[in-house]
Amino acid sequence: MHSLAIKHLTIWQQSTPLISLDETIQGGDILSVMGPSGSGKSTLLNWLTGMLPATFHAQGQLYLGQQELTHTASHSRRLGLLYQDALLFPHLSVAGNIAFAMPKTTRKQRTDKIHHALDQVGLKGFENRSPASLSGGQQARVALLRVLLSEPKAILLDEPFSKLDSQLRHEIRELVFAQIREHKLPAIMVTHDCVDAQAAQGKIVNLGTQEYNHA
Amino acid sequence: MFNPNNVFTKVITLSPALLLALLILPVIGGLVGVLLPAFSYIPALGEIGLSMKGFSALINTAGFSDMVRLSISSAFISTLLAFSINLLLVAAYFTSPWLNRIQRLLGPVLVIPHAAAAIAISFLITPSGMIARLFSPWLSGWQSPADWLLPHDPWGISMILGLTLKELPFLLLMTLAALAQTDLATNLRAQHKMALSLGYSPVTAFFKVVLPNLYPFLRLPVLAVLAYASANVEVPLILGPNAPPTLAVAIMNWFNDVDLTLRIKASAGAIIQLLLTIGLLIVWWCGEKIIKRITQLSLVNGTRNYADKGITWFVHLLTTVIVSCVLLSLVGLILWSFAGYWRFPESLPDQLVLMHWQSAFSHMQTPIMNTLLIGFIATLAAIVLTLFTLEAEQQRGYTLSRFATIVIYLPMLIPSIAFLFGLVWFQEQINSQHALFNVIFSHLLFVVPYVFLSLANSYRRLDPRFMNLAASLGATPTKVFWQIKLPMLATPICIACALGLAVSFSQYLPTLLNGGGRINTLTTEAVALASGASRRVSAVYALVQMLLPALAFALAWFIPKLLIQNQHKGNHA
Repeated sequence: MHSLAIKHLTIWQQSTPLISLDETIQGGDILSVMGPSGSGKSTLLNWLTGMLPATFHAQGQLYLGQQELTHTASHSRRLGLLYQDALLFPHLSVAGNIAFAMPKTTRKQRTDKIHHALDQVGLKGFENRSPASLSGGQQARVALLRVLLSEPKAILLDEPFSKLDSQLRHEIRELVFAQIREHKLPAIMVTHDCVDAQAAQGKIVNLGTQEYNHA
Repeated sequence: MFNPNNVFTKVITLSPALLLALLILPVIGGLVGVLLPAFSYIPALGEIGLSMKGFSALINTAGFSDMVRLSISSAFISTLLAFSINLLLVAAYFTSPWLNRIQRLLGPVLVIPHAAAAIAISFLITPSGMIARLFSPWLSGWQSPADWLLPHDPWGISMILGLTLKELPFLLLMTLAALAQTDLATNLRAQHKMALSLGYSPVTAFFKVVLPNLYPFLRLPVLAVLAYASANVEVPLILGPNAPPTLAVAIMNWFNDVDLTLRIKASAGAIIQLLLTIGLLIVWWCGEKIIKRITQLSLVNGTRNYADKGITWFVHLLTTVIVSCVLLSLVGLILWSFAGYWRFPESLPDQLVLMHWQSAFSHMQTPIMNTLLIGFIATLAAIVLTLFTLEAEQQRGYTLSRFATIVIYLPMLIPSIAFLFGLVWFQEQINSQHALFNVIFSHLLFVVPYVFLSLANSYRRLDPRFMNLAASLGATPTKVFWQIKLPMLATPICIACALGLAVSFSQYLPTLLNGGGRINTLTTEAVALASGASRRVSAVYALVQMLLPALAFALAWFIPKLLIQNQHKGNHA
């Protein structure tokens, strides 16, 4: 079990400071980052994943346990991403999407794991379905399985529930949070929805007001 | 009562049918006009009994199997190379600004006629060419040009090199155009990011996630490249072997022979060429399915990295070599066109002179006038037909059928050598006197697909709210077409014009055949001179061939800006 630590981070857009943050998230905890659009929520995610556009520059470090990730390439960070769109790969089946994410094992092991995981989220027998034939909620569940079975060290959630209707939203939210706690993963959730943030039962940082406090 | 609105609406309604007829009749008619003589039916020569003697003469021709083998291997290898290099470039630079920079560096190659590009390549690789000069004598030790059979090597390597370098920028442009479609691009880039976050290294992520969803957009361009490479004549004429040449070149020689009975053999050859090209297209299509099948399991095998670092370094190297080759051929061409005395191992001529340009220009006026005249008329006709067809589509409220779309791209896929001779025969029956008209008409067949391809997207994506607004203000469809759509589309129309001109400028076979050899353009002259004695005059022709389309594109970039400026001035007044 690891903690995710953002140490003394400041991100500038050209020469204007946009975000300042210093947080440590323990495994199983969810840090909610709120703020209006333009407050730098997606910029923060881009920095965390190592995809900060050239128009920004950042100072500060990112630690996963004892390991520094600040300059690690995007694909080597092992930070799982969950977006508001499921973004299932259209050319792969449900099982293919999950297998794509899993660490390299034998084919048998992968098939068994996928079968078990689908069963757990109520999608038994969905292996060979194409993503386009799934409902929004089913897609969201497959997307979650895809992230979890990739065995990430931490999870980043980008407005993960904003495209789901309210009934489904509650259900998927509980599922995602429960899985994060069960796997004891540190998580950062970017959202503009107070209900999401409160349901996460973790610390809430508000980027908009934070900026205001500094001024 | 005469009502201009009604007349215009009628013209618009009829234009899709007219466009299709214009494309399908000459192609089908041309094929029939080749099919009959192929089975020995030529009344003019007193041959009216159907027989297979054309085909048996063809098969008994010395080197026939070599010709077929050469056509197949050069087309397939060059297409495969251009396609693979294109994928490697896009994979390695998918998230890098270098992708667009490389496209900007290679983009100009796109508008260079094949003949000019082939001449430039031949100057690069010939034993006394730029590469040999750069490495001599300090590395190679050569004091005089080596005794290589370049560029006309019997294996067609020079030809493959020329075709690969010329087609790569086209495929790259088509790939980037697909990636510029915002909805597709956003998804593909998000999915690429997703794969990166799952631990896939960038190149592997491209091949496993992006390529399977990108390929459908590349299929038609790749097939067009394959069809062209298998049947074109100007690149093999300049870079290919002479004895035996490719099948397409041999067919052309037989058709142009004074011995008219050879026409039977030539027609049979044209049919074989058609089958050969179709066969190649089918093989590619099957190969695509097989590869998809084979790689399906490895897509999800969990491997994150297939020597990505090595591939990336290889692509850096490859890019450097390709860009240097392109630049070096251009520099070589310019140097030769001004060269006075130029001893072999020297990298630069002893003196630079204007003589070749002056003497070339004194002979060049008629070819330039012909080139421009044919280009402008063919392009104008293509633009009008395309715009009217697209407008008809919007007025009817549904897009062209799949069949119509295939017909429009037909001249890109069917080898021109297979139907042009039949078309010539038909034109001879109707009006043999109007060589210029026949040439313009045949150019139109090749200009229309490119103009349509370049205009259709912008026209169909025009925001319908503008048109609805204009209609709600009482404007008729005619008025909306002339006063809303055309001005809003000024930039894409100008670019389509430039593309149409560039396509027309580069045509060799239609000019030669349908003009009966009586119409000289820059391209026919350049090809004729390329096999001749003076490398310097040839360089001048190739450069002028490059300058004309470049000028057209410069104007296409400049005119819309000028129009916008004038509009703003008008508003202030």
